[in-house]
Order: sequence, then structure tokens, then C-alpha cells
Amino acid sequence: MPANASAKNPPEERLVNLVVALVATEQGLTKDTILTSVSGYREQSEAGASKDALEKMFERDKESLRRLGVPIETIGDWADPDDLREARYRVPTAEYELPEDIVFTPPELALLNLAGGVWSESSMSADARSGLRKIRALGIAVDEPIIGYSPRISLREPSFAPLQQAIEQSRVVTFGYLKPGEAAARTRHIQPLALVEYEGRWHVYGADLDAAADRTFLLLRIVDDVVITRESFDPALREGAGERALAGLEDVAKRNRALLEVNPGTEAALRLSRRALPADQGIRVPYVDVHVFADELASYGPEVRVVEPAVLREQVILRLEAARSAHGGIV
Amino acid sequence: MTARKPLVATDRAALMLQLVPYLIGKGEVSIAEAADEFDVTPAQMRAMVETLTVIGLPGNGGYWQMANELFDIDWDLLDERDIIVITNSVGLERAPKLTAREAAALLTGLQMARAIPGVGDTDLFNGLLAKLARGASSTPAEVILAPGPVDAVRDAVAEALQRGVAVSFTYKAPDAAPTTRTVDPVKVQIATGEWYLQGWCHLRQAMRTFHLDRVSALELTDIPIEHGEDPVPGWFESGTGDIVARIRFPETMAPLLGDYLDRATVETADGVSIATMHVADEHSLRRLAARRAGIVEILEPESARRAAATWAEAGLVQYR
Repeated sequence: MPANASAKNPPEERLVNLVVALVATEQGLTKDTILTSVSGYREQSEAGASKDALEKMFERDKESLRRLGVPIETIGDWADPDDLREARYRVPTAEYELPEDIVFTPPELALLNLAGGVWSESSMSADARSGLRKIRALGIAVDEPIIGYSPRISLREPSFAPLQQAIEQSRVVTFGYLKPGEAAARTRHIQPLALVEYEGRWHVYGADLDAAADRTFLLLRIVDDVVITRESFDPALREGAGERALAGLEDVAKRNRALLEVNPGTEAALRLSRRALPADQGIRVPYVDVHVFADELASYGPEVRVVEPAVLREQVILRLEAARSAHGGIV
Repeated sequence: MTARKPLVATDRAALMLQLVPYLIGKGEVSIAEAADEFDVTPAQMRAMVETLTVIGLPGNGGYWQMANELFDIDWDLLDERDIIVITNSVGLERAPKLTAREAAALLTGLQMARAIPGVGDTDLFNGLLAKLARGASSTPAEVILAPGPVDAVRDAVAEALQRGVAVSFTYKAPDAAPTTRTVDPVKVQIATGEWYLQGWCHLRQAMRTFHLDRVSALELTDIPIEHGEDPVPGWFESGTGDIVARIRFPETMAPLLGDYLDRATVETADGVSIATMHVADEHSLRRLAARRAGIVEILEPESARRAAATWAEAGLVQYR
């Protein structure tokens, strides 16, 4: 493409020049004006780049900037809104800038600094730092940093990022989901509404289109790539979804209560009794997922015995048997 | 700090859009400080600032821009003292709104910070949530952290940190007898709902990490902290164990092993991974083997392999 071959200025210069131009204009600039006057396009116009190539470059640049959150407004012909030949483009300052009346106090900034530091290696970490930079650029004094605490969130599941993107864009996703005890993964079609960490595990909550009901899925059980489809859904469905997801999980935990006997003074007693309700004999511990809870209980070996429910007891026994035979059994 | 990934043009443009308000807010700032703030090298920061000076308003009717239509900096200060000062600005003075992703990352981080005793009150948090929502260019995806249980031990540790006094408590490590410890609290590490206290252990005369779930009978002492400035150990006392362990598991199951693999060397062939790691005691492995039954197999040491089988058998005996 001649337009690229003759480009001397790096693309980021052109992108920033475009933002400066579009923010500075009140009534908007036509595509022709942009291509002949904004630095980056202008040089290539003058060097004889084809109009077609320049227009394609402009379209790509607009997309790139929108992904950065730069709100580019298209003002079409009022008589024929679909006719974009005479369209004008602008970036409304009020949409672009952090609103003037948003002011952060020094204690707020100290808290945000702590909050922004919780993400360990993940794209969320870069996003948090970038967001903090924008806020710090408002030139606010900061209180003494909050010391003594180092909270961290790990994101090990590769499905997290595409699910988050699908929620932002209100788009249907598909993914393979492997339930314990099932031989093969099944493909699910979901309108994803919220991501929830509950008891240290990430879940996606959404409307399951096959089941025609709201469902919660463990990210650990998503076995292949999450595909974001072109099908979108009403963003209004997302309102309050986090609360609904949380309430749903708490509801399940209320209904599922295991009766356990624990040996006092052991790891099992320490870890389980914090979540437990007293029972006549032993303790009652709420749980959300029978397989996840069975994993934990199996790890305690002889330190805990499941009295009921039977399904949980069976799952723990299955795990202990598998662990025993995998390690040569008892001679 | 995090490893610096190569930036694509769009990333560099995003940084430039943040650079102008930052420089204007600062008035005068060194290359080093600005590079640190933007997670770039000083050379990259210098290049960004130089690039800024060719950015400006569109030229009229094919003419090049006038000097006052471009960003400009004090070149003498930059060349002689590595200091950046903007002398002419043509827009972009106020920081851009947060992207949905940036807002989500901060909103979720705030939920985590909220679990810390004594850090901010409800008004402070609610005010921040509202400001971040209004400062975002589009609605962030909801990323929710369920609140953990309220806990007296956590509150007491917070108070000890604040007052700068040592705490005494009973500590029951797995597979070990309980011990009584006196500890100068230095830092509380929080991850996946688990809280760890790091501090100077008077008994061991060294920095140690304690899982708060295994702490009981915690009391504040009147002993002022003497080791509060000491460097805390890494996330765990990683790689300090004398025992070399090897475990085998299907490659796809690696996420289930979480923290364990942070400290391991992993080799994978034909979808099967073998991790080699140092552990402090071999008892912890039998718990892992039972938790991940059918997925994880302990290969070495042989004693840990046998212990895993015995542990599972001892659990099974209860059901006969």
C-alpha cells in the first residue's frame, strides 16, 4: 500500500494529532479536511497517496481510538443521516475528559492506590495502573500510603478476559463446559452478565440460552476458548447482575449444609470451624458446589468424616480411593 | 515492577493522551519520575516527550502549523537537566475519562480494599464508587468479590499494626504441634480469601509467614515493634525447602494447582506435565494428592508417595 510505504511519521503521532484536531473543533471536521490538514494524513496526501488508502487508514484510526475510549461523534447529513459523504467528525470535550466536577480527596487517592495495586500479572493490572495515572494527573495531593497490607487478586483462568470483554459489549458467548462426572464437555450459549469471585473461585453469571434460565459457571471448568459471537443482547440485563449472582450463590450455600465430624486441633478443624454452624454432633458447613467441597474435604484425609449428605460422602470416598490407588495403594 | 511488554502504536497513543495532563499537572518533572509513572524506560519517556513537540492543531489550507499551534517544551531543561516542562499546549489538558476496563479494575480493587479493617469508611467507599462510575467512558463489566466472613483475629492484627505493638498467639501449622509465638507484625498478605501475617517471630528470631486461619488466642502485647522496617519474605518462603518433589498431572489441569506451580519448574510432553519443586515438608503433598485425586500423582520423594497412599487410606477407614 503506497499510503503506508510513504509514511514517515509513526502512527501514534497521527492518532494523537487526530484527537487534538477533533477535540478542538466545535462543528466537526469533514473527512476531506482531516485527510488534507491533520498531520500524518496531510503529508501522505501531499505525497500522492490514494484517497482510498487514506480513507481506509482513517477508518482504522477511528476504530483504534474508540477502543481507547475516545468518543468520536459522527454528525451526518440531517436530511439523509445514512449519507456519510459530507459527515463531520468531532470529539465532544464533555464526553472525552474526566468531568470537571469529579474531584478526588487525598484519602480517596490513597485508597485508590491500594485498590489499583491488587492485580498480579494480568491485563487488569495494566488497566488499573492506567486508570490511576489518569486520576493522578488531576494533580491531587495524596495522603500517606496505606501500609501494612498487600491484597492481591490472581487471575489464572484464560477465560476471564474474553468474558469481561463480552460483558462490556453485551455479546453472547459460547464455550465448552466440563461438569465433573460428565464424560465430555458440552457447548454452552450464554449472555454473560457479571463475573464473581466467591470463596476464592471465579464464576461467570449469565443467561443460559439453552436452559432459558440464569446460571452460574465456574471458570475452572471452561475447557476451551471462549468465543465472542456477533449476537448482542440488551445491556439493561446487566443492571444489578452482580448482586443477583451473589444472592444466588449465597442462596445455594444456605440450602447445602454438610454435617461433618472433625478431629479437634487439626488443620480440618481450624479451617472448617470458621465457616461452620454448631450442630448437636459435629458441625454444619454450608457449601456451594459438591465437587469443589469434596476436593477440600478429601485433602483433610482422616481429619474429617462426612456424615451427610450421602452425595458428598460418596464424592469424598471416590477421591480418597483414587488418591490411594494412584500412589501404589497400601501394601 | 512488572515486565515491560512491547507497546503497539495504539498503546503509545494512549500514553501520549495521558502524558499531557500529567505534565501540566506536575508543572516540572524529571524524566526518571515520569518514566516510572508511565511504566516505560527513561529513553522511551524522552522519545515520547520529543514526539509530543510535533503534535498540534491541523494546518490551515496546506500550510504547516505555526509554532504556537504545536506542543512545545523547554528544550534546555530537557537537554541539560533531564527535566520536562511544557511551554505551549494546544489541548488535551484534562485527563481522559477512564475506559470501562480501567474503571472495572479499580472498582474490583476497591472491593478488596474494603475487606481490610480500618481502611476507609462506607461513605468514602460509596463516594469513590460513584465517582469512578461517572468517570468511565462506558459501563464497566461488573466484577464482584464476595465479602469474606468477619473475623476477630483480622481486626486484632489491624489494631496491632496501627498501634505498632507485637502480638502473641497460638499457631497450629498443619502436621505439627501447636506453638506459642510472639510476632512483630509487618505486613498482611491477602490472596483468594486467605490472609497471611508476615512479621518478625521472636521465637525463631527471623521473619516468618503465618496463615491467619491457623492462628488462635491472639492477643495484643505492650511490646513495641522493633523489626517493622525489616524486608518481608516473598509471597511464601519460596524455594527454601530442602526436599525436592516431583508431581505429574495433565497439562490442562495446571490452573487447578494454582500457587504450587509458581515455585516449580514444569516440563510438558504429550499433554502431561511434570513439575519439580522444593518443599519444606513432605506432609503437605499428601493433602494436595487427595484434593486433586485422579489428577495429581506424586512421583518423588518415595516417602511422600507412600504418605499420600497412607493418608487416603486413613481417611477411607472412617467410612468402613
